[in-house]
Amino acid sequence: MIKPTETLAQHWLEKVHSYSGTSKVALRQKDFGIWQSITWDESYLQVRDFSLGLVSMGLKRGDRVAIIGDNDREYLWAAFGVMAAGGAVVGLFTDVTPPEAAYVVEHCDATFVVAGDQEQCDKLLDVKDELPLVKKVIYWDNRGMWGYDDPWLMDFRDVQGQWDSSLGDPDERFEAMIEAGTGSDPAMFCYTSGTTGLPKGAVISHSNFVYAVQAFGEIDPLRDTDDHVSFLPLAWIAGAALDISPHVVNGVILNFAESPETVRENIREIAPDQLLYNSRLWETLVATIRARILDSNWLNRALYDLFLPVGYRAAEFEFQHKEVPLGWRALRWIGNRAVFKPLLSQFGLHKARDAYTTGAALSPDVIRFFRALGLPLRQIYGSTEVTGGALLHRREDVKFASVGEPIPESHCAISEDGEILLSGPGLFQGYHKDSDQTNAALYIDSQNTSWLRTGDAGHIDEDGHLIYLDRLKDMIELSSGEKYSPQFIEGRLKFSPYISHALTIGDTRRNYVAAIITVDFENVGRWAEKQGVPYTTFTDLSQKPEVYELIRQDVEEVNRTLPESGRVRKFVLLHKEFDADEGEMTRTRKLRRRFLFERYSEVIDSLYSGETELQISDVVKYQDGREGKIDSTLRIESLENGAA
Amino acid sequence: MSPSHLRLHKASLSFGGIHALKEVGFDVAEGEILAIIGPNGAGKTSLLNAINGFYRLDSGEIIFQDQEISSIPAHKVPTLGIARTFQNPALYSGLTTLDNLMAARHIHMHTGMLGSMIYWGFGHKEDIQHRHAVEEIIDFLEIEAIRKAVVGALPYGLRKRVELGRALAMEPTLMLLDEPMTGMNVEEKEDMARFILDVHELKGTTIMLIEHDMGLVMDIADRVVVLDFGEKIAEGPPSDIRNNPQVIKAYLGEAH
Repeated sequence: MIKPTETLAQHWLEKVHSYSGTSKVALRQKDFGIWQSITWDESYLQVRDFSLGLVSMGLKRGDRVAIIGDNDREYLWAAFGVMAAGGAVVGLFTDVTPPEAAYVVEHCDATFVVAGDQEQCDKLLDVKDELPLVKKVIYWDNRGMWGYDDPWLMDFRDVQGQWDSSLGDPDERFEAMIEAGTGSDPAMFCYTSGTTGLPKGAVISHSNFVYAVQAFGEIDPLRDTDDHVSFLPLAWIAGAALDISPHVVNGVILNFAESPETVRENIREIAPDQLLYNSRLWETLVATIRARILDSNWLNRALYDLFLPVGYRAAEFEFQHKEVPLGWRALRWIGNRAVFKPLLSQFGLHKARDAYTTGAALSPDVIRFFRALGLPLRQIYGSTEVTGGALLHRREDVKFASVGEPIPESHCAISEDGEILLSGPGLFQGYHKDSDQTNAALYIDSQNTSWLRTGDAGHIDEDGHLIYLDRLKDMIELSSGEKYSPQFIEGRLKFSPYISHALTIGDTRRNYVAAIITVDFENVGRWAEKQGVPYTTFTDLSQKPEVYELIRQDVEEVNRTLPESGRVRKFVLLHKEFDADEGEMTRTRKLRRRFLFERYSEVIDSLYSGETELQISDVVKYQDGREGKIDSTLRIESLENGAA
Repeated sequence: MSPSHLRLHKASLSFGGIHALKEVGFDVAEGEILAIIGPNGAGKTSLLNAINGFYRLDSGEIIFQDQEISSIPAHKVPTLGIARTFQNPALYSGLTTLDNLMAARHIHMHTGMLGSMIYWGFGHKEDIQHRHAVEEIIDFLEIEAIRKAVVGALPYGLRKRVELGRALAMEPTLMLLDEPMTGMNVEEKEDMARFILDVHELKGTTIMLIEHDMGLVMDIADRVVVLDFGEKIAEGPPSDIRNNPQVIKAYLGEAH
């Protein structure tokens, strides 16, 4: 049972006591090329001294302390020191500009700022006049700080030497401060870079954090022998929820990279048991892995080519919730030993029990690829205001289109406008000093339950999976009043290797969604050859009934993930590709929608009439200035109710 | 003024009929940053080459810490505490950053050939000790990410930084830097300037550098010596040099 009653500091102290006197490693930091281990007892002393030092310098319960710096052991000690004294930590991203830093530090009324190094101290010195409340700026990396004589600046170690030994036993004083905390105390202010207006400070309580890590732990249990590499910014909710919370609640070992530039290499050395990359990073990793294999020797390449199809086959059984037959399991076991594990170890991924992805949707190809290698990627969906992830794919139930199911005790619902609402014990305490924004972000239902308005549009499918469509404001309304997401449909259609571009149509004058699709000439051509379908030109190929059938399956696949009102009802395969030279796309291959709507108005009209065919003629300009005409017939394909 | 760390007295050097240095004389005080500037062919690099023993002076003296060094062979000069970097990085391009820096520690190693072959014992202990010193330099110059990268494959700016590291690994009291910032972009120059100042401040190393970027020289140097056609035409703090008519003439040419 989940009991989110204690503070992070209390959990931490519990761990310190249980590991005290042992050589159990709490943290590691690579220093001078060697991973240096730090025990829980050593960590305790560092935190105690910093915490008592801050208190002796005037930190009070409920005060805020801003921290800006790279992930480091001192970052962690500073954060724990503040939390132990009943303060709240305000993380700033390391790339903020001085005015941005000034805004946040001033807005949260921070009394101290812990700034990692010279670069961060310089930013604060720039805006010193705007920060009268800040008593000291404390730095832990003293390189380059020799020449500074501003008394506003103070060395981390000097703070640790500040506490007054005459006030009694330091352990007792320190632990009494921790015991005085309650779960509802703010633990962290996470400033979210709102897309509009100034950043808002989401207040996250200790209970929020403890709940989130325990709920995740019910799905993916954590062990105190697990290794994490702390590389996500700790100012970001995911950094705090995936690094700090598991460390204090589960005793997970935190490893800090040598420098921001060496993170990749350090991950390879540590081989973490859990990790989160954003979807972009997973995508680039696929390309890197493939390139590595190409560069490898013939034996590795042969093994890879031999076992990758085995991996794919076995993965396919799992995606269909079927048991992998013994023969395939045996083959995969060999493949794992022979190629996949050694390959993944090149990237530090061979020990990863849980690998998560966030951000934009990951293409099924990428998920399949990693699953074939034996790394089951799973999507997390959430937001700062619900303490990070509120939904997660279960290991045995990964659906390509979805972003997962709610974690225990959290709930997800869709409002009448189609907005995703989230609630549960992870729901934040409001925005600091901004009740208007807080009220705007919350929805109170008839049972008096508070829900977070995510601003995202989505729907829940029959299995209880959430499907994220788009930001609510980017949804387009049909004449029926229903909304759909052009981005989502076009993006998902393009996941098909046979589709190069898709343009969805549908607005307040039309009552369903239709699509103009251009096929990928190379892939569809290859497919046609294999199927024995003869073709001559792009136009010819695109109008083959077999090709229509092929694309129809892809469209139906996407339709299955959509609510009925937002499904594609009709589509046409265009006789040519969209061309940047003709102004149909930008040079970065983004569709110029308005231009396309105008240019293909005839095609669009026929998608909304009863016609099944359309004659069109294109004017072509030759290089010598003459003009020619190309006539072609386009077939209009209908999908009844968009159903599968 | 602090005691003289290096003194040149009437140093002259010629190649055939070309006078590379003509009775050049100045002092480098202990712990200062002295910049040498001058047009192409003014004799700047020849001067550094003479100091670290590549060239023999025709006449004159070079006194380093009260010792006349103009006739000491080049390979012995580093053991006196003089390290230098070159205009074009002179590193073992097939070795890693780490190995290049370890190689520079050679002058401080005492294990003989036999000891090295046995390795375990004294050799091993000494290796760790030197590795530690090298790791401190890697940390100082923020080159952790290229510790195990082969130097030849590194971009120019980083190679320059490794070369500075190699000079530092010798633990010199005097560093001669020959155009440490040529071919760098603004950001790399800023970094390099910061490292030079940090070395100077933290280790108190005396630094003599040749540099063309006048803005930078004026910012970081304590004093400037100006050479033109092998002759010293000016010497003094940057602010004086900036307004010295002779320097302006040498640099900008004379209006006719």
